[in-house]
Amino acid sequence: MPATTADRAQPDTTTYLICAAAWLIPGAGHLWLGRRQKGIVFLVALTFMFLFGLWLEGALFPFQLAEPLVALGALADLGMGLPYIIARATGAGAGQVVAITYEYGNTFVIVAGLLNMLVVLDAFDIAKGRK
Amino acid sequence: MTSHFGLMVVFALFVSIVFATLMRDEPREQLKFAGRLFLGFVGAGVLIGWLLYPLPL
Repeated sequence: MPATTADRAQPDTTTYLICAAAWLIPGAGHLWLGRRQKGIVFLVALTFMFLFGLWLEGALFPFQLAEPLVALGALADLGMGLPYIIARATGAGAGQVVAITYEYGNTFVIVAGLLNMLVVLDAFDIAKGRK
Repeated sequence: MTSHFGLMVVFALFVSIVFATLMRDEPREQLKFAGRLFLGFVGAGVLIGWLLYPLPL
């Protein structure tokens, strides 16, 4: 592995900024830390997975605390960061319950968000010098 | 593309790529690990599908 910014532990403030960037734009944390190949793979794969889920008529769940499973789905969706915010702002992700691919779309969107959370944790470990 | 099997293959592909990139550092290792994960996901999906086949829904 070539020497990167991540080979030494980052200060706490920088670490949290890296995590925020990694959440906002999938792969941005790794790109910041000099792990260019990983960052590009995360950016492309997670963004396409999220968009593919929306194309399959998947929904972006609302935060309804009265329905815990829906709230958990919303939390997972939020894991995608900026793509989620843009989709929400543009009205994408309304979801077509009657579409045959609705549940598949939900699965793609939710898992993309959860995977991005794992990517954020990985960026945190790298920034702390643990990896 | 929107068949159950086709979507399972696409899902397995995305997840395999992300997991392999997270868990391996060298591109060659990532490729091998992603391939093994992908085959494992699809194989397990087909196997579980067949095991569930006799169960009435």
